Amino acid sequence: MPNLKDLKTRISSVKSTRKITSAMKMVAASKLRRAQELAESSRVYSDSLGFILSSLAGGSKENSDLPEILVGRKNTKTSLLIVNSSDRGLCGGFNSNLFRKSIKWIAEKKSKGIEVKILAIGKKAISYFNRIDIEILGTFDDLNNNERQLEVSEQVKNKITELFESNSVDEIFILYNKFVSAIAQEPTYKSLIPLETSDEKNNEEPSNISFEFEPDKNELLEYLIPRNFLTQVYGSILESSAAEHAARMTSMDNATRNAGDMIDRLTMTYNRTRQAVITKELIEIISGAEAV
Amino acid sequence: MIELKVVSPQKVIFQKEVEMAVLPGTEGDFAAMQDHSPFISSLRPGQMAIMSNNKTEESFFVSGGLVMLKGKICEVLVDQIESLKDLNNQNFKNTKTYIDLEENNKEVNNIFEQVVSNPSYK
Repeated sequence: MPNLKDLKTRISSVKSTRKITSAMKMVAASKLRRAQELAESSRVYSDSLGFILSSLAGGSKENSDLPEILVGRKNTKTSLLIVNSSDRGLCGGFNSNLFRKSIKWIAEKKSKGIEVKILAIGKKAISYFNRIDIEILGTFDDLNNNERQLEVSEQVKNKITELFESNSVDEIFILYNKFVSAIAQEPTYKSLIPLETSDEKNNEEPSNISFEFEPDKNELLEYLIPRNFLTQVYGSILESSAAEHAARMTSMDNATRNAGDMIDRLTMTYNRTRQAVITKELIEIISGAEAV
Repeated sequence: MIELKVVSPQKVIFQKEVEMAVLPGTEGDFAAMQDHSPFISSLRPGQMAIMSNNKTEESFFVSGGLVMLKGKICEVLVDQIESLKDLNNQNFKNTKTYIDLEENNKEVNNIFEQVVSNPSYK
């Protein structure tokens, strides 16, 4: 029979766990709102930039004089995957889904004879890729506020430009959790080099409008390409942080509910045990009295 | 009227109907008005002015960026922007833009100082 005192301690410890998880849920919910706003408001800039870039690149497609950094190299030997995870755990399947997808992607690339290297953003990605046998070209962590997120995006941009220009990598992809809704996140790829053509995504066809450019296309491209990397990386960092808070919110909500169920069950056992003890004592007293 | 939409990497700063906007293009200032031909240009650091009736309504300092004109929309993608209205030599040094610029780019910073200290800009 379970000890009454043990049960009591058990109940109180589950109660305090529930307090913690429900507090974490609240925190995640309020952080989510902020992160979501940021992610949504930054989308305007990146959409416009993408539009400009694709109307620039689209117009000169026939000339095929586009720089390699835009269209990628012809024979790809090495591929860089930027994995954007979270710094902290306790957010359900957020990181493990991401890593599972990245492993699949790496295997696919390997079967085509392409070597994959990693740029890890977030503590979880760093520790995960350190455990498996893969070359890590750079790590970034502690993305706990907006300034830091911008700073990291800048560093990532510099890093990838340097890596591409030194011929260390031939194509660059970024993998992050896309914020779909408060209860759904989806690991998503975005191609940085070669440039993802946006006409697949939106029906607005930039080629329909013939823009005048000032200064000329190549100079504009030179200015735009690093800027595009920055916004793409920054955008996915923001998107991933919104998704992280959403994931944490749902998983902490579940944890709180489970703790509640557990408390109910434990309380039931506690009451039963208590009653059994009383009955037992009564029987002892009565049978003692009868014996006299 | 043309719809002027000013966007920074973080957010939409403002969006409103204006008669004319004068922008510091890399190869010279230009005015954005209704039915301008489709046009994309980069911006140099300098002053952006919103005009109506040949008068400057509002002035801003932009540290660089891009502009896209298409139909009735003028979209300005800025790196950093600061309204000149409440800016003067005493307090502009405390603004975030100035602090960022001071760290990053002395040249842009000088232009900023020129723009802000020139009374005719206001």
